[in-house]
Amino acid sequence: MSLRVLNPNAEVLNKSAALHMNINAAKGLQDVLKSNLGPKGTIKMLVGGAGDIKLTKDGNTLLKEMQIQNPTAIMIARTAVAQDDISGDGTTSTVIFIGELMKQSERYIDEGMHPRVLVDGFEIAKRATLQFLEKFKTPVVMGDEPDRDILKMVARTTLRTKLYESLADQLTDIVVNSVLCVRKPDEPIDLFMVEIMHMRHKFDVDTRLVEGLVLDHGSRHPDMKRRAENCYILTCNVSLEYEKRTNILAFSEINAGFFYSNAEQREAMVAAERRSVDERVRKIIELKNKVCAGTDNNFVVINQKDHCSEKSKEKKYGKAGFGLWRRSWPNDHTIAQIKDAVRDGLRAVKNTIEDEAVVLGAGAFEVAARQYLINEVKKTVQGRAQLGVEAFADALLVVPKTLAENSGLDTQDVIIGLTGEHDRGNIVGLNHQTGDPMDPQMEGIFDNYSVKRQIINSGPVIASQLLLVDEVIRAGRNMRKPT
Amino acid sequence: MREIVTIQVGGFANFIGSHFWNFQDEMLGLASDPYGDPLFKTQSLNMDVLYRTGETPQGALTYTPRLLSIDFQGSLGSMSSQGTLYNEGSNASSEVVTWAGNISTHASEPQKKNLFLQSLYQEEQNVPMGNGSNGGTKGAQNEIQDTDIVECLNKGVQFWTDFSKVHYHPQSLYEVNGLWMDGKQFDNYGAGRDVFTENLRGEEICDRLRFFVEECDHIQGFKFIVDDSGGFSPVAADFLESIADEYTNTPVLLYAVRSPGSLMNLRSRKQTVVRDLHDAVSFSRLSSFCKMIVPVGLPFLSTSKASTFLNIEDGNPYHCSAVYAAALHSTSLPFRMEPLGPTAETSDASGALDINGLVQMLAGQSRQNMVAILDVAMPAPSMRGKQDEHSLLQNLQPLTPEVAEDVDDLQAVESMTVHGAIVTEGQRASVSEVKNAVNAEYQNATARPMFCHLSVARCPLPIPLPFPSIFGNLVGQHGELLGSPISGSISRGSLDVHSIPMAARLRSSCAILPFLENRLGNLRKFGIQRGALGTDLLRSWGFGKDEVEDFGETLSKMVRTVNPHSEISSDSD
Repeated sequence: MSLRVLNPNAEVLNKSAALHMNINAAKGLQDVLKSNLGPKGTIKMLVGGAGDIKLTKDGNTLLKEMQIQNPTAIMIARTAVAQDDISGDGTTSTVIFIGELMKQSERYIDEGMHPRVLVDGFEIAKRATLQFLEKFKTPVVMGDEPDRDILKMVARTTLRTKLYESLADQLTDIVVNSVLCVRKPDEPIDLFMVEIMHMRHKFDVDTRLVEGLVLDHGSRHPDMKRRAENCYILTCNVSLEYEKRTNILAFSEINAGFFYSNAEQREAMVAAERRSVDERVRKIIELKNKVCAGTDNNFVVINQKDHCSEKSKEKKYGKAGFGLWRRSWPNDHTIAQIKDAVRDGLRAVKNTIEDEAVVLGAGAFEVAARQYLINEVKKTVQGRAQLGVEAFADALLVVPKTLAENSGLDTQDVIIGLTGEHDRGNIVGLNHQTGDPMDPQMEGIFDNYSVKRQIINSGPVIASQLLLVDEVIRAGRNMRKPT
Repeated sequence: MREIVTIQVGGFANFIGSHFWNFQDEMLGLASDPYGDPLFKTQSLNMDVLYRTGETPQGALTYTPRLLSIDFQGSLGSMSSQGTLYNEGSNASSEVVTWAGNISTHASEPQKKNLFLQSLYQEEQNVPMGNGSNGGTKGAQNEIQDTDIVECLNKGVQFWTDFSKVHYHPQSLYEVNGLWMDGKQFDNYGAGRDVFTENLRGEEICDRLRFFVEECDHIQGFKFIVDDSGGFSPVAADFLESIADEYTNTPVLLYAVRSPGSLMNLRSRKQTVVRDLHDAVSFSRLSSFCKMIVPVGLPFLSTSKASTFLNIEDGNPYHCSAVYAAALHSTSLPFRMEPLGPTAETSDASGALDINGLVQMLAGQSRQNMVAILDVAMPAPSMRGKQDEHSLLQNLQPLTPEVAEDVDDLQAVESMTVHGAIVTEGQRASVSEVKNAVNAEYQNATARPMFCHLSVARCPLPIPLPFPSIFGNLVGQHGELLGSPISGSISRGSLDVHSIPMAARLRSSCAILPFLENRLGNLRKFGIQRGALGTDLLRSWGFGKDEVEDFGETLSKMVRTVNPHSEISSDSD
């Protein structure tokens, strides 16, 4: 109330109103992103005020395009976007998980339960789930020669949620090979070494990987060979061309006098400049003669003079892998969407290599974790915090539920089928075609371990913070009025 | 060819840029107009320095600014971030080829084009039929009258695109998305702190810049305009840091601009502290990543001496940005002149200088002062002005804030550009006439700089249709200063004034001392001293004690550069 004294315009929402504001915001955001999830999700076409089109099935892209104003929703969105920054995926899952935690909590709070108790239960459940994840994950031995099959399955799982099946399958090999191509032992994988380029005049199915360097500059002389094998390659960064305007050059680089005092002096400068260029070229020819003498070997000079900086050189020369694709007259927004999908695929492969583990997908982990929490963890918890564990466990099911919903299946049937099959001792995920339980291992559906871990970690933290809000205060503006 | 890549970061920078490119577009238009003034047809100003040629996928040639503009998502109003030249028509757009499942469309309410943009659109539709000359085809078939357009623009400009008549390249306009805050919240250093690094924005921005840089033959430098009044300052600083890292040998000429509006509305003490600290930190960081920095933006432009002949509303960024854009246009002219050597001269222009030359001259001389003051005379007075009338030097007034007046600095270095100057009614001065007049003025002046570089062009500043009506009633049709006011309306715009002579000057002088001392003083008072009010604030912006002290050191070094005996530069504690 002291705030009222300081600022009579301040608006204060009491505890229950504040809580419901938070819950509604979380549910609202969940509703928006829910339909993205899975291989049966809905792709969204966003048309801006000026007619700009963006095509996305990625929660991260979608969130960034949205003009979110509700402070609670912004908080959730920031968490979800941070999730993507860290692990490259899982934005949609984070948002719907937080939304579901809030939704489940609402049931108990409406029955008079204190949020604090729920939050305690969340904490216990979170720790138990993370432990369970360690047991549940499928370790993958990387070593010198990573298991390509597993990597392909991970990449395909991700790509199929972003692109239609045959395109996704075609890109799978490319994505896996390009990551393996830039991988160096004992070093973190630098995905910037993979350059994604699009060629406007080819088809999406022409996409391919070039293992090597791609230089997009043409040759400097029409008589240069179109093809050269067994090459010595010299890369350098010196000027090999005569400066057209030596007066400017001298002025700027030497900065001694402003102008030449006479024409001879200028001529002398020009001549000196040319001499030093000639000298450099002679040195290069000498080198060529030395290394190529008496063989058929070729000699290639790749020169980049000052407008290409250190970094772009690195970029240009250092890049090893590199996919290239496009579709006949694709729209820019189509290209952008494919690029996003490829980037996600690359991240998924990289994560797998670094995690040395994967997690069975199609909702299998969520179902198993839920059953574990309900059947085993809950019993060990004293008192009402049990209900928090239960809420958490039910919230986990949002993933298979949403997958079912997006596939047009009945969510209740699906959940009953899955939990039943699970209790018979099988690890099962959802077959989105039929709605029946299936074995994700057989189908080759794998998710990233680090992404799952991150979601389980950050979801409850944000949900707890939002549940524990007692008062919402905003100075000067009326919150209840729709704006 | 010595290309310049222009970078505009933040709201007001883009307002200025919009006017700037309108001037260039107008010059290009006048040069190709068979009925145009021959002054605009000269070859002495090379537009390729600022523009790039390209080709659309359909094979149409394009000529677009070599520009990277960064602004909020939604700040482009009714303009598409893809520009207008390269879009592929609406028929292709509704098809989704990458997804076999469901599609949902979310369309925001279309932004309405204002009268000016509508008329541009109409004109474009008509171009293939008529032969596109502005003068002839106008009138009967054009339903939108110029007077209505001018009125509409003067009444309300919301976005900088509302008055832009330029086609931009699809790589040029970068929108910062996913900030989830409005412009009001984005008003201090903390708000923009991680914007450049988050979400791979920096990568994308640098990629776009590389696109423009790599196609240059021999880039002479970057012209970087930043709205440093708010959260875009850290974005620009991070961007500049990566430029300095990547293009080490390419000089950056930085204009730190702000609108008068951004300096008002400081109600409480706390806000003042935030503002003062922001100014100090922003200036210190920006200056450390460029070769030369020019602070531009007066708190009260309308009442300043620089707008003696202008009628400006301070709260209207459309107005204020026009003045700054004109000054920036003038200072950029020497970069586009063909260098001819010391003695050769054409009748149209003289005094070519590239960015590095300018930087070396102003910031690289004995004193190494990298902060320059921008002065402008808009319009420039007649070159045959008698002593008692308007003299050029008196009319040159600073657009840089917090500058000392009447400073006698023997070590000052200046670079002045005069273009389109008038001798007598309706007659443009020749290059040598301008040179003589300026020399004569300096001879008579009380305070003379150590060195002054003069660039002269005969081509005046053309006033494009979407230019605001900001000229006072003492300004004639060709920008001449009249003896008695024109009766009628107080403000004259593009319909009454077709071109104006301009003079602008960049100077390195100790007149900048108050500007530097204020920033240093505020940083000491609110940030460094024990128990200072702003320590927590600075920490929340991500700056620890050491970094803040580094900023202080940077600033006091700059103060010492200009005035070795300044009291404030010595550490008091």
